[in-house]
Amino acid sequence: MSYLNIDAQALNTYDAIVIGSGISGGWAAKELTGKGLRTLVLERGRDVRHVTDYPTTNMQPWEFEHRNQLKREVREANPIISKCYAFYEGTEQFFVKDAEHPYIQEKPFDWIRGYQVGGKSLMWARQTQRWSDFDFEGPARDGFAVDWPIRYADIAPWYSYVEKFAGISGNKDGLATLPDGEFLPPHEWNCVEKHFQQKVAGKYKDRHVIMGRAAHISQAKPIHFQQGRAQCQHRTICERGCPFGGYFSSNASTIPWAAKTGKMTLRPNSVVHSIIYDEKKGRATGVRVVDANTKQMTEYYARVIFLNAAALNSNLVLLNSTSHRFPNGLGNDSGVLGKYAAFHNYRAGISAEYDGNLDSTTDGRRPNSPYIPRFRNVHKQEMGFLRGYAAGFSAGRGSRSDQSGVGADLKESLLNPKLGGWYVGSHMMGETIPKESNYLALDASQKDPFGIPQLKISIAYDDNDDKMVKDYQEQLTEMFTEAGFKNIRVRDSHASPGLDIHEMGGVRMGKDPKTSMLNKWNQLHAVKNVFVTDGACMTSTSTQNPSLTYMALTARAADYAVKAMKQGLV
Amino acid sequence: MAGALGGLISLPAWANGWSTETVQSTQHFLSINQADQLAELVETIIPVTDTPGAKALNVHQFVQKMVADCYDKTTQENLQKGLDSLDDLAKASFNKTFAEGDTAQRTALLTQLSKSTDTAQKDFYSLVKNLTIRGYMTSEYVMTNLTHYQFIPGHYYGCVPVKAKTASQPK
Ligand SMILES: Cc1cc2nc3c(=O)[nH]c(=O)nc-3n(C[C@H](O)[C@H](O)[C@H](O)COP(=O)(O)OP(=O)(O)OC[C@H]3O[C@@H](n4cnc5c(N)ncnc54)[C@H](O)[C@@H]3O)c2cc1C
Ligand code: SF4
Repeated sequence: MSYLNIDAQALNTYDAIVIGSGISGGWAAKELTGKGLRTLVLERGRDVRHVTDYPTTNMQPWEFEHRNQLKREVREANPIISKCYAFYEGTEQFFVKDAEHPYIQEKPFDWIRGYQVGGKSLMWARQTQRWSDFDFEGPARDGFAVDWPIRYADIAPWYSYVEKFAGISGNKDGLATLPDGEFLPPHEWNCVEKHFQQKVAGKYKDRHVIMGRAAHISQAKPIHFQQGRAQCQHRTICERGCPFGGYFSSNASTIPWAAKTGKMTLRPNSVVHSIIYDEKKGRATGVRVVDANTKQMTEYYARVIFLNAAALNSNLVLLNSTSHRFPNGLGNDSGVLGKYAAFHNYRAGISAEYDGNLDSTTDGRRPNSPYIPRFRNVHKQEMGFLRGYAAGFSAGRGSRSDQSGVGADLKESLLNPKLGGWYVGSHMMGETIPKESNYLALDASQKDPFGIPQLKISIAYDDNDDKMVKDYQEQLTEMFTEAGFKNIRVRDSHASPGLDIHEMGGVRMGKDPKTSMLNKWNQLHAVKNVFVTDGACMTSTSTQNPSLTYMALTARAADYAVKAMKQGLV
Repeated sequence: MAGALGGLISLPAWANGWSTETVQSTQHFLSINQADQLAELVETIIPVTDTPGAKALNVHQFVQKMVADCYDKTTQENLQKGLDSLDDLAKASFNKTFAEGDTAQRTALLTQLSKSTDTAQKDFYSLVKNLTIRGYMTSEYVMTNLTHYQFIPGHYYGCVPVKAKTASQPK
């Protein structure tokens, strides 16, 4: 009997376990297998294979029954996910439906998720900027959250490492706020964007408009061909999955790379329930998994565990991993687990028209747009709010036709559209301040379909965010006016948090185990063989899109974990 | 090309939303008579000329499908009522059924509908007109033969002279 158990245990034992196969989990899988570890990758969703499982990727516009509009019943059954701009007839299959994994909105929060092999890396918008020391020094300088245990210099080589493999297009702009990376050629500007860039440069010393840095292969290098990926073809329907591997996704890049080592076991439909803590050994020994189809519970074991379930789910897993030693969640000696969650402020936007440059237009499509790095409170605190915001910017020209008539006249005008004027637009990306009162917890009574307690989300905007929205609107109005843009309209969507899809924190890094969960290697202070390298680990949020930083932190932590294992430290 | 490729790939069970069966299974909520009226209506909005009109491109079926699948009950009922009333309106204005009217008579009737002070009537007409334009402009025939949609442009040029190109590509 016991002999059998040992057998089963051996069968379910690996060197490493990675929980989640999205952007960060894909990197953990690639790094750990690449360093020779037999690695089990557990993914709650179904398998999605590169190309074959992108059912809509080659569909022409007219092949969509509803021309990409959502069916009424889908919209009505999914009020939350229907708010996401990327959720439409061609992408429905990649987003988590509202009923699939219920949660409790103690305050309104639109939780946007992708549960499948590849996670949200299939649908993301691929903006990838490095953080700078202005970001890593933020909490210490401005006195919020806790000090980051790392600085830009600690992570810079790892940014380079992941950028080269993932393929990041961008321009070397030489800005302190946004360090340059290992770039493939940048995307092209259009004339109105160039015009705006020059106007802004002429008026402000400290404001810049640059081409966005995006995870697109604008020029394939040998390392990309080795992954089976090719140059981006400018289709701009990336969120349906790209058969060329033109943009970075776990499915096109890290996961198949890890598979090629022969060291990876990928197990889809495996919902991790909790991490097992062995009190005698004083470390985590494995995980409990609920099979999504059979609802059977199985245990898997490993020497090291990487938790990459995406920020909120990683909090959930740790909160649900209770033991005699850790009654309030794994590694939660400090009591800060689930607290200091934060996100990005995407509420505000601005649009306008421009009647210059009418003799030129654009041709083709570009899966990227220009970017305005943060310029507020950069060198010192100067405004009536903490931190700042970055912004997206783009200009374009559409065609217009007179649709007032009917019959042959209408047909004639529809088929001979006139080029309209230029339109310009921007949206803000604000840093929010992690606070103890923004927290995640487990609900004591309500369970999800797998028998796991539901996550309770209590996160909201505050006064600092409102002030930032106002400043963004004022400053962008001033910049737009300077550029001669007309009919300027500002907006504040007043959307709930969540739609930014940049949730972070709850398992923050820090120097002091009394006030943080993870050390500078993303290792739980109290359980050294558990690493958390997704958005949960973020001490503060910066204004930059976060995923490139998750990739770099993951590669760095995996490198450390393997070295530490060899030295017997883990 | 995409169609051929779609046929080769066997879709997993979860992707059943894209099979031909579901395209056919959508409930046809219009009576045969209403559907016929709709076909006449879309053809009047975008008629055959030296190129096919809306009816030949099955735009009426597209309109019906969109309203059945994507719109609420009130909108559906308003479409039914609007189609039912078409012949009465036609008789009142040119003493024939809508289908029997000539181009000028039908056009005049639609112009009258677009200016109607009855909101239900006005909504009915603008819904049909907007969906007709959408269905026509995104039909395979128009996109491939008339507006020359490029699925894979392979490039983005930021500043080209206007003369070189008249319309930008729909997404
Ligand atoms: C429309 C959209 C646009 C975006 N644009 C950008 C952008 O431009 N730039 C940017 O930086 N970021 C962007 N993001 C955010 C980006 O996608 C996320 O930051 C990133 O995917 C997070 O990586 P992750 O590994 O933490 O999580 P994910 O990629 O979400 O992967 C987590 C995986 O873990 C799995 N999982 C969860 N719980 C469990 C469990 N209990 N057991 C087993 N598996 C589990 C999930 O199924 C999922 O596959 C965007 C996201 C979306 C949806
Ligand atoms: S824009 Fe590039 S990455 Fe996106 S779908 Fe097209 S080819 Fe693929």
